Amino acid sequence: MKILMLLRANFLMLLRQRALLLSSLGLAVISILVFGYLFGGNGTIKTVIGVVDQDHSTVSAQITSQLQKSDALKIYTGNAAEEQQALKDGQRDAVILIPAGFGQQLVQGNARLQVFYDQGNAVTAATTQLTIKAIIDDINRQIMHQPGTVTLDQQGVAVKALRSIDFITPGMLGMMLMWANLSVGMQLVNWREMGITRRLAATPLRPLTMISGQIVARLALSLLQGAVLLALAFWIFNVHIYGSIALLALLVILGSLTMLALGFAIASFVKKSEAADSMLLLISFPMMFLGGSYFNVNGAPDFLQPLIHATPLYYINEAFRQIMNYGAGWSAIQTGVLVMAAWIIASMLVVWRAFKWL
Amino acid sequence: MISQTHAMAQQAHKSSNGVMVDVHNLVKRYGQKTVVDNVSFSVRQGEIFGVLGPNGAGKTTLLEMIEGIRKPDAGTAILAGHDIRKEKRAVQNLIGVQLQATTLFSELTLLETLQFFRSLYSQGLEPKQLLHDVALEGKASAHPQDLSGGQRQRLALALALVNDPKILFLDEPTAALDPQSRRMLWDIVLKLRELGKTILLTTHHMDEAQLLCDRIAIMDNGQIIALDTAAGLIHRLGAQATIDCQLDGKATRIDIEELPGVTMVRQANARYMIYTQQMQSTLIALLTYAQEKGIALTDLQVRTPTLEDVFLDLTGRELRPE
Repeated sequence: MKILMLLRANFLMLLRQRALLLSSLGLAVISILVFGYLFGGNGTIKTVIGVVDQDHSTVSAQITSQLQKSDALKIYTGNAAEEQQALKDGQRDAVILIPAGFGQQLVQGNARLQVFYDQGNAVTAATTQLTIKAIIDDINRQIMHQPGTVTLDQQGVAVKALRSIDFITPGMLGMMLMWANLSVGMQLVNWREMGITRRLAATPLRPLTMISGQIVARLALSLLQGAVLLALAFWIFNVHIYGSIALLALLVILGSLTMLALGFAIASFVKKSEAADSMLLLISFPMMFLGGSYFNVNGAPDFLQPLIHATPLYYINEAFRQIMNYGAGWSAIQTGVLVMAAWIIASMLVVWRAFKWL
Repeated sequence: MISQTHAMAQQAHKSSNGVMVDVHNLVKRYGQKTVVDNVSFSVRQGEIFGVLGPNGAGKTTLLEMIEGIRKPDAGTAILAGHDIRKEKRAVQNLIGVQLQATTLFSELTLLETLQFFRSLYSQGLEPKQLLHDVALEGKASAHPQDLSGGQRQRLALALALVNDPKILFLDEPTAALDPQSRRMLWDIVLKLRELGKTILLTTHHMDEAQLLCDRIAIMDNGQIIALDTAAGLIHRLGAQATIDCQLDGKATRIDIEELPGVTMVRQANARYMIYTQQMQSTLIALLTYAQEKGIALTDLQVRTPTLEDVFLDLTGRELRPE
């Protein structure tokens, strides 16, 4: 009974914080709408790929014809020089080069394709990379099913038409979790400043119990917001979750816990609530972009990579993308999960040493 | 072991004697400054005990140490037989506190706030009934920020009563309130004493102390400088009445001191404060003196001494600086 009352009070307080809901769910929904409508979320934009066949074997011809059959791709063929120039001119999103000897190497089991990307347009580069990856995965899958001579399925390459909106939605889910949970520490700083924690100190309520109530309430809110966001994305833009929803939900909880822990750790260093506001913004904005919520940061310059890999949100977004866009299972997100767990433990250590309830 | 048992028996004996709050040598320092300096007193069951002193005297810090919110540097407080340092949970269950400036969760309604606080205890009163008792029934769905100052203090009082505590701590319960709200709050406090509750309050208002408190401890600069009933404290002044007046230059302090019945004279330029045991004789003599010497006597006020006078006498300063 007592626990229910505690959770009820904490959850009600969260639901009534309009600013919190607006900055997290509101921002995510608006971003999705903008990107969805602005970049043609309804899947009419095709990825333009140039195919250079230097092998001239049966297999390479089959690959080319399959790619041409796909609805999501627009294929041009030509020689290396022509296609590379077209790529430079912005006429291609990517160029696939099938090198000489590809067919024989395929039989031996170690064939390689060369792929050239146009990195200039960050948004379409993201989709292109996903598409190419899907193509290659599919080819690999088909090849592995055939013993002996390699023949490819005549149906065409099964490329899930991944659009900008498919890329952005998991990123928005991650970003929303950040905005919704990072501020938990700030709430405690506010309470401390207003004298609420002092008033509570005169009651039998243990600080840890109150904090636990807050955590559970925020997790519930995160799951609720996540469900709303994904439902909207599905309903308006037909964004699918190709992987396990249960796994996604688990990752939402883990991601939220990571942000909560980080939020408490940050608050441990803040004495006044005005400082808390600016510190939060200072951390949230870079994290939102470096974490890859809006664009693919995997192709970012080398000097940024350490920063990107130091951002907890990066792993959260990657995990969401793996599950939603690729239907990935546990093995693909393992590292990400471990990193999140490490962040939680590190944050908890900081809180244990530095956080002041009164 | 034996001494410990002995001490506990003493405590049990004391609380059966009716001592609800027993404070021994409490000390609190912040850096070089000693904010609470070796304070001791005890509060009897059913008593309203006041700590009267100017702002900065250390009243709030003292109260917070007894409530268990602040850790003392030295000394103990024993509430209903429980040592605050060792049996904090037991103490928390039987006290209710009203802090000086109460801000609450702005997102919850009054009723929800009361329900939340009520859920922290295993026993207590019904939130809706409490709202009724403090005359805030109509505001059950309002939020704390929508309340006036007086309403907010009544809410804070309701919160303090949520577990039907034996001991209540009120820190400046009517600070910054209008006269009507003050009276409302006083009525509630007096009713609470009728219910058998023990109340410990702090204030810098002399009228509040005089009206509500059975006994008053005067606190200044971290120390208790006097402890007695209001009447007892005033009696110590040795004055039955005070005559305030303004006398022009020709009057001398010595002359005034020699008037019949005068026990003490305070003078600041032309303003005189004359303490007397025989008000009538002194007054007649004063008027005669002024007439004979041709001294202009203005702003004459005759009143009974108050705790302000007691404080002034003890510290040389005014209780409430203008």
